[in-house]
Formats: sequence, C-alpha cells, structure tokens
Amino acid sequence: MPTNNKIMKSIFDWFNRRFKKWYQPDAMMVKLLQSLTMTEEREISCDDVYAVLDQFTEAVLRGENVLLLMPLVRQHLDMCPDCRAEYEALLGMLQPAAYLAGATNL
Amino acid sequence: MSKRDNKTWMKDLRAGATQRDMALADLHALLLRALPQGISTWLSPENPEFESLIEDAAQETLLRALDGLDSFEGRSQFTTWAYKIAVRVALNELRRRRWRDVSLDGLEDAAADDSAPRQFASSDLPPESVIERADLLRLVQQILAEELTERQRAAMNAIHVQGVPMEEVARRMGTNRNALYKLMHDARLRLKKRLEREGLEPQELLDMFSRE
Repeated sequence: MPTNNKIMKSIFDWFNRRFKKWYQPDAMMVKLLQSLTMTEEREISCDDVYAVLDQFTEAVLRGENVLLLMPLVRQHLDMCPDCRAEYEALLGMLQPAAYLAGATNL
Repeated sequence: MSKRDNKTWMKDLRAGATQRDMALADLHALLLRALPQGISTWLSPENPEFESLIEDAAQETLLRALDGLDSFEGRSQFTTWAYKIAVRVALNELRRRRWRDVSLDGLEDAAADDSAPRQFASSDLPPESVIERADLLRLVQQILAEELTERQRAAMNAIHVQGVPMEEVARRMGTNRNALYKLMHDARLRLKKRLEREGLEPQELLDMFSRE
C-alpha cells in the first residue's frame, strides 16, 4: 500500500505535468529570450558579413583580436546560424586543424 | 601548379583564353582539394552525393568568381575570397537538399501576413510587485503576442525551434536572407525595448524560468 508521501508525490507529479505550460516557457520563448540577451541596437546584415568574411577569417587564423577589430562581425556570427556555418566552413578550408568540432547546424 | 599572388591571379584570370584557362584549372584544383575539408562536417565524404556536390560547387564557384572579379578588393588572399564563394554555394545547395522535402507548417501562409500584432488591453498586466512566475510567463507571452507580427513569429519559430536555416526560411517566405535578418533584428529590438519598458530583463527572465 502506498504511503501518504508517495500519494502526495504522484499528485504533485500529475499536477506538474498537467500545468507545466502555465509556468514553464516553451522552446521558442527560451530561444528568443536568449537571443535578446545578445541583441544590440546596431547590428550588421548578412551581406555586410559576407563582404568581409574572407578578411575576418584570415584575421582569426593570424591570431588577431577580432573582437576588437571587427566586433560587429563577431556579434553577427553569434546571432546568425547561416553565416556562422559559412565562417566555420571557410575556416575548415583554410586550416583543417582549426576546424571546430561542433559545427553549426545547417 | 604555379604559385600566384593576388596580382597574378587577377592578371591571369583577365588574360586571353590559354592563360585564363590555366588559372581556372589551378583554381579548380585548389577548390577540389579544400572544399571537402570545409563541408565534411555537414556532409560525410562517404555520402554518395559528396563528390558531385563538391564538383558542382567548384564549377559554380569558378563562374561566380570570374563574374565577380571586379568586386575583389585585395583585402584577403584571392584564394580565400574564392573559397568564400565556394562555401556559400556548397552550403546553400546542402541546405536546399536537406530541407526541400520538409514541410514547414504556416511559414508560407505567414509570409504574406505582416499585419499588426494582436492587441491586448494593457489593464490586464498585473502589477510588478505581485508577479509570480506563472503571471510573469503570461505577461511575456502577452508581450510576444502584442509585439510580434505573424510573419516574425513564424520565422522565429522555424529558425529557433525547428532549426531551419535562415536561407531556407527566407526562400519560403519569398524574401532573402539579408532582409530576413533585418526583419528578425527589428523584432528582437522591439521586444527588448518593450521588456525594458515593463522593467523586465531577458537574462533575469531566463534565470527565473530555469529555476526548478
């Protein structure tokens, strides 16, 4: 025979499952809030990044401080999965050893 | 294969047929060697489509590079510039193949619907001091509903939740990636400012919602 604690726990679990959506944000809201923490008033576009992606990648491979030199490009790569994948692929073409193991989803 | 600096690449590629063809053949060989290293994380070299993708992307890159020679400003190695073109060509083709048969409900419908967001009565907002977690969630949901258009909401859902590439979302919405990024940036800024007006910080919200 279940103890009172077990009964209480099963009621609590059922309640949690049933009403989770009342206090737990869905995946989109979480991702959106995460992206808002990185949102800046001024951001550059995908075309702007593409225009300098070759320069930027070479600067990374030379060990230059791209956060200082090209902060807007760096910020865009954090926000845009497509541009990030292109950067990672270009890095892989130029220096396979520097290729990131956890590549961005296509 | 002869080693070329940027100036020589440009000179050879703008020269008469024989000199240009030799430069193109060299660039083609470089692309065939480097491109597999660039995209093998997204498509396994064991995949039967791998070789044809590399070859097609290399050919397309040669065409685009010749077409766009005037836009090369010499701020990087010429080959890096050409590799950049190859990367975009190859990854766009991979994205297209990977997502072509995947249905993305609502995306096409939402593409045309950029009407104003839904309006809620602001008197529904509970006072900040008594907001509990559930109320807070409801408030953020309300803000999203008020600030995002259907078009922005559909795009964000596809990109952030379903993991669809921006390029593919843009294509299905009848726009391009650059414009879509701007649309998303506008939406993020608008939301961020609205949250600020409500006295809410995205990071604090995330911290609160992640508590068990």
